[in-house]
Amino acid sequence: MSQETLISQLKEKFPEAFLDITEFVGEKILHLKSQNILLVLTALKSAGYNFLADLTAIDNLTLGGFERFAVSYHLLCHETAERVTVKAYVSEENPTLPSVESLWKTADWQEREVFDLYGIIFEEHPNLTRIMNPDDYEGYPLRKDYPRLGRKERDDFPVVDRGIQKKKPLE
Amino acid sequence: MNRVTEQPIETDKMVLNFGPQHPSTHGTLRIIMELEGETVTKATPEIGFLHSGFEKLGEDLDFNQYITITDRMNYLSPLCNNVAYALAAEKLMGLKVSKRTEYIRVLMCELSRIADHLLNVGMLAVDLGAMTAFLYGFRLREDIYDLFEIATGTRLTTSYTLVGGLMRDIPDGYDKAVIKVLDETDEVANEIETLLNKNRIWQDRTKDIGIISKEDAISYGISGPMARASGIDWDIRVNEPPYSSYEDFDYDVAIALNGDVFDRYLVRMEEVRQSIKICRQSLDKMPTGDVSLDPDLGFSLPPKDEVYNSIEGLIYHFEVTMPNRGMTPPVGEAYVPTESPNGELGYYIVSDGTRTPYRVRTRPPSLMNYSIFSKLIEGHMLSDAPAILGSLNVIAGELDR
Amino acid sequence: MNPTEIKSNILTTTLESAINWGRKNSFWPMPFGTACCGIEFMAVLAARTDLSRFGAEAIRFSPRQSDLLIVAGRISIKMMPVLIRIYEQMPEPKWVISMGACASSGGVFDTYSVIQGVDQFIPVDVYVPGCPPRPEGVVEGLMKLQDLVGEEKLSDYSPA
Repeated sequence: MSQETLISQLKEKFPEAFLDITEFVGEKILHLKSQNILLVLTALKSAGYNFLADLTAIDNLTLGGFERFAVSYHLLCHETAERVTVKAYVSEENPTLPSVESLWKTADWQEREVFDLYGIIFEEHPNLTRIMNPDDYEGYPLRKDYPRLGRKERDDFPVVDRGIQKKKPLE
Repeated sequence: MNRVTEQPIETDKMVLNFGPQHPSTHGTLRIIMELEGETVTKATPEIGFLHSGFEKLGEDLDFNQYITITDRMNYLSPLCNNVAYALAAEKLMGLKVSKRTEYIRVLMCELSRIADHLLNVGMLAVDLGAMTAFLYGFRLREDIYDLFEIATGTRLTTSYTLVGGLMRDIPDGYDKAVIKVLDETDEVANEIETLLNKNRIWQDRTKDIGIISKEDAISYGISGPMARASGIDWDIRVNEPPYSSYEDFDYDVAIALNGDVFDRYLVRMEEVRQSIKICRQSLDKMPTGDVSLDPDLGFSLPPKDEVYNSIEGLIYHFEVTMPNRGMTPPVGEAYVPTESPNGELGYYIVSDGTRTPYRVRTRPPSLMNYSIFSKLIEGHMLSDAPAILGSLNVIAGELDR
Repeated sequence: MNPTEIKSNILTTTLESAINWGRKNSFWPMPFGTACCGIEFMAVLAARTDLSRFGAEAIRFSPRQSDLLIVAGRISIKMMPVLIRIYEQMPEPKWVISMGACASSGGVFDTYSVIQGVDQFIPVDVYVPGCPPRPEGVVEGLMKLQDLVGEEKLSDYSPA
């Protein structure tokens, strides 16, 4: 079945999950609420979209949108070579949504990265710990209110004590 | 009476740290392995030792400045990154580039693909003890670096494309230099295959090691030569709507069926041969034309001699580059997947209408390819770890960004 | 000066020049390559620009057996403790070359997780600029270090 009919079938089946359906430069984007994301993605996977290409998040603080954070999933169907983007909106007070690791194993590390950089919590994830930053890092770097230069973590190391004294060359 | 009783040997579990500084880990990777004797029972990779905040930088640099940063992600084939980012930005803004630009981009991508595969096969050979293949591959890589230097000015961090065109055109006589290097590449590929394909030690160390099944490959998001070595017939240049005039070229896609380390090596060597074919075709059919967009559109820089010698060129230059002026892209988002030597490399750009992107995200093929490592190594011996790691082609710059 | 002082000073200078000649012509480098500069360092060791003609052929990836640490590539906050530990494991005498813009000063990456210059925490002898530096540039850096080592004196080293 074509992508249009599939999307309209999904909208009939889960009417309370959809916030909007838009299209930009030939790509279809489905905007959803965060609680029903697992049901919609399971339906998409059984309809043929078997490859999860990318999982990332966007902080809508100055862009505007339905909520503050949007987690976007890019799906690909190997049979018809069609792609679709699904965005799940997550609010700032309660940044949680269900994990899709049970559908695609590649979501494991990518959700850990979103947790590390944005602070969005994925329920029922097997191992939700920081992946890019050190384990004792505080703060979520890619949020819009975190400064690019950091909060002095990069200056925080001991100067090495060499054990001997060596004269520097005078030039 | 002689009775030989066999007693099972009891071994203790040992935890070994394959640390972030090690000659066999290509880059800064750390694996914590639990060993029983020589067999690995569990391996936990730890990444993030090269995390530099690329995506945070993307929100402060404008569309053309970010191209210099994209080189530093996959530093074995930087031109592929430049082309992928330029394609995503052009799709977002709805720009159409000239045919000559597209053919030159294809030529550069395929030369980078040859360089990347030869280096990867060379490093795999060095880890397993066959040092000659590495030296042959590197000698050829120096010749390819010379070609890049003639066209772009530097060897490694090229920053060759602009949004809407290229930095500058290729000089006259470039095709003769490229054809000479392509003939040498044919010979070097033959030499490497003669050394390794029927080599008893190579086959023993790479056959039936690290087998990836088809279902696992799709579930873990694996693409590129690794997926094709497991039997998945998917190449973005062929199966999806082709980008950058790839439909004008005639080439084959290499697929293998077993999914072990030996098959991945064979798929990469065959891709080198197909890339040589594409390069020759692009030089034969190269159209004439201009490689930069019309500066009236306000997206790309005018040529330098106009900037220095005429007042209109100077005004257009300032209109594009000054901080409170410049390009005004539409509000929206775009994702373009391309076929890089590692797999599906895509850029996801979200724009809010100002001259800097709101969010730039790289879809890193190395991250997806590396996540299957802990499953592959279970049950194998410790000395199979460099073989499997070498065949995954993990590049730390792209993995950690 | 009386004759015994002159004789002992002459002996020391000949000893120093012999020791320095031995040290500068047989560096045993330890490459700490993390990123793109690591690939250019591999090109320095390969056939076209050959580092072994300067005696620096024995690349041992163990810090306890080497005396020249080449920091090639950007160092992030997760990797810095590793670098400090490797520097402390090297025995004296040891020198450090900081290769590339990212190791010398942070380079293009002025962000929350890249160390803006390794010389804030470990002592560096020679800085090689470039992004990445050409192999000839690295060879020039090594030759400058050879000049520096050639002028060292035994009295430069004193207990802390």
